[in-house]
Amino acid sequence: MGYVSKRIAGALFVVFGAVTLIFIVLYWLPGDPAQLIAGDDASPALVARLRAQLGSDQPLWTQYIHYIQGLATGDLGRSFATGESVFSRLAAQAPATLELAAFSLLVTVVLGVILGMVSAVHRNDWIDTTIQSVMLALASMPSFWLGILFILIFSVWLRWLPAIGNGSVAQLMLPVATMGLASAGRLAPMVRNNLVEVLDEPFVATLRAKGLLERPVLYQHVLRSALIPTVTLLGVIVGELLGGLVVIETLFARQGLGRIIAEAIGNKDIPMVQGAVLFFAVVYVTINLFVDLSYRWIDPRIAL
Amino acid sequence: MTNEDDGEIDDESPRSTARRALIVSGAGVAALGGLAYWGLRGHGAKSAAAAQKGGELVVAFDGTSSSRFGFDPHNSGFAPHNRIIRSIYDNLTVLLPDQTIGPWLAQSWEISPDRTRYDFTLRPGVRFHDGTAFDAAAVKANFDRLVDKSNTLYSRQSLGPYASSQVLAPNRLRVILSEPYEPLLRNLSMTKLAIVSPAAVKKYGKVFAQNPVGTGPFRFAGLTQGTEIGLERNPDYQWSPSTAAHNGPALLDRLTFKNVPEEATRVAVLQSGQALAADLIPPQNILALKADPNFQLLEKELLETNYSLGLNVVKAPWDDEDIRLAVRLSLDIDEIVKVIYLGTLPRAWSPLSPSMFGSAEKELTGSWKSDPVRAREILTQKGRIPGPDGVRVKDGKRLTISFIDTQGNREKRLDVVQLVRRQLAASGIDLNIDSEPGGSYAAKITANDFDMAGGASFHADPDILRTAYTPSVRSALTGNKVVDPEIIAWLAAGAREADLTRRAEFYRKAQRKIIAKTYAIPIYILIYNFAVSRRVHGVTIDAHGFPEFHGASISS
Repeated sequence: MGYVSKRIAGALFVVFGAVTLIFIVLYWLPGDPAQLIAGDDASPALVARLRAQLGSDQPLWTQYIHYIQGLATGDLGRSFATGESVFSRLAAQAPATLELAAFSLLVTVVLGVILGMVSAVHRNDWIDTTIQSVMLALASMPSFWLGILFILIFSVWLRWLPAIGNGSVAQLMLPVATMGLASAGRLAPMVRNNLVEVLDEPFVATLRAKGLLERPVLYQHVLRSALIPTVTLLGVIVGELLGGLVVIETLFARQGLGRIIAEAIGNKDIPMVQGAVLFFAVVYVTINLFVDLSYRWIDPRIAL
Repeated sequence: MTNEDDGEIDDESPRSTARRALIVSGAGVAALGGLAYWGLRGHGAKSAAAAQKGGELVVAFDGTSSSRFGFDPHNSGFAPHNRIIRSIYDNLTVLLPDQTIGPWLAQSWEISPDRTRYDFTLRPGVRFHDGTAFDAAAVKANFDRLVDKSNTLYSRQSLGPYASSQVLAPNRLRVILSEPYEPLLRNLSMTKLAIVSPAAVKKYGKVFAQNPVGTGPFRFAGLTQGTEIGLERNPDYQWSPSTAAHNGPALLDRLTFKNVPEEATRVAVLQSGQALAADLIPPQNILALKADPNFQLLEKELLETNYSLGLNVVKAPWDDEDIRLAVRLSLDIDEIVKVIYLGTLPRAWSPLSPSMFGSAEKELTGSWKSDPVRAREILTQKGRIPGPDGVRVKDGKRLTISFIDTQGNREKRLDVVQLVRRQLAASGIDLNIDSEPGGSYAAKITANDFDMAGGASFHADPDILRTAYTPSVRSALTGNKVVDPEIIAWLAAGAREADLTRRAEFYRKAQRKIIAKTYAIPIYILIYNFAVSRRVHGVTIDAHGFPEFHGASISS
């Protein structure tokens, strides 16, 4: 229990650090948000008024304290660029991003683990070689290019799936396949190599010598040991998935936080960037928290 | 600042008839406009012999990666959004295919002899989508909103020296200018000055741009921020302009625009049928689409200032016109345009796109030749000697150009700059691209911390040059820092000159000097394109270069 609360405290600290860091970076970026909102040739008086309204005329630490106070009361503030509530803007875009990320992760895990296992069991025969080569190809392709390829095959040529938009399951298929396959291409070889390593360990020979069938050996003992490094890699892959959102959302013309954050940085829309970073930080940290906690479930020998 | 505009192929035929107290009769001009329109319709979409009513037209448009839609016509310089604004709103005047002006929501107008008073008679019976009446008070509210300094709206310069307006009768409005302003009627035909519902502006306030209310053939039906905007037929629509081939309410039930910023995806959704129309088809797909019997490609020049590169003339050494000339002579613009746009866009010679009234495109075409040898001579004469890495140096300072950009590779502009960079390198000039987010771009432009910038601006009147070359009215965020008293005077005179021949000449003089002094280096003429499935009929592109869907229909 002590371990869990320590991990949660650590996670909160990481979120806090991320928010603080991005605050400072944005603050030092050149460009005056009030001038941007007011437009090119606004009178200095108007710009000054806006600055006071936004609070952007306050010193760094005052702005920072205001921001943290707002966060504590669940208020993410209002967009500099549009005056809208940051929370409602993000809330409107988050579902599209979350479903994309979640299903991509699911595809990554299912495909990565299954193909990795098949590969390990058949190690060094043609099945292994085929899977390994395909995975290598998927992992090396830019997701952008893979996405265009899928659009051409499944949307233009076969006409099975829509290429753009979000909301329906059909619209989710191509972007999820693009992101999921690319990540599975990184995960599967990892799973395979871990399994192969474990399969060579003496305890496996012992199990077999005791007359255990190959199946229980593989599923109950080997897989469990091999999962630890795999799960660790998953934490990294989640980060990459989130980072790749901008490209995928643009390519498939989807709504989403990736595009919002890119645009908000361009506009120096500090509250919006803050809100989006906070969201991503929470997602990332939560996933990694689960990764940490899952170690014990996977391998009870690990003391938490 | 964003921009883009298309126009048409022929130059305006300037009528030298003195237009003193000119009275435009609605019917007469309408008939003329209609005739001219039919003449030009050859390159519009096939008109449906038996236009079918109903259906939804899905348009995949290039809205760039901008995730925020805004459809307030008075506050958007962004061409992709103005293309949608066109269907939601109407204007007081309409730009005819011959670049003259016809009546629309203003049936007629009288101009006082001193040309500072315009009395507009407005079309009766017009209603905004929210049910409120379009009348003189509503138009006055529009103009007052535009010039209200606390609103800081993008379009305010387009009203020129507007002083005030008076409601003379429910459908008669007097507009008073502080001095003659001849671009007014043409400007009033632009989406930038489309008429919005004052009641809706009041009701929605800051979020009016996300809740647009106009009088146009389609009304707003909802949007998914960043990806999609839905419009539906305005059933009461009876006031299409004289240029329209179709009268009465639009044929389509729904018109949906989907933002598909990636060009390959845009072509794919058109080919897969997920959208029946797509705009800004990239050069590499244009030939194939033209040859494909399943599609039709509409093309028209966007009326605008052609995309041009400009050196920062207030920063050394670019304040030296000989060095600017050397930069220009180093460039082979024909080759750049051919390589990047594969022959789908023409090369530009003048600041104004060829179809715009007053464009000097014809006379400037072929006015100079690429001459890298001469460029190198000039640079050597100026004491800029190639250093060990080939880049020219004087007093230890390398000859480098920092090209500042914030829009990314829109219309393949950064590809253009890459070729410019390669050609300049041959002359010993080192160009770097400085890509900045909006905020730092603004900061660097204001601080003069750049050597070169590029841009274009859609507009229907050559007066756009005045807002670019007159320091007192130009945006602080433009990379154009030129202060040339002669040009300022010509452009001011052009804005006041009622005689069209003389007026055009002022602008031609200004354009000649802009080229001669290398204040701008025009690159390409944007031909806006719009591809439709064979099942789609009646889509047209107006004289500004914006698509119109009022008469569009879908056959099964």
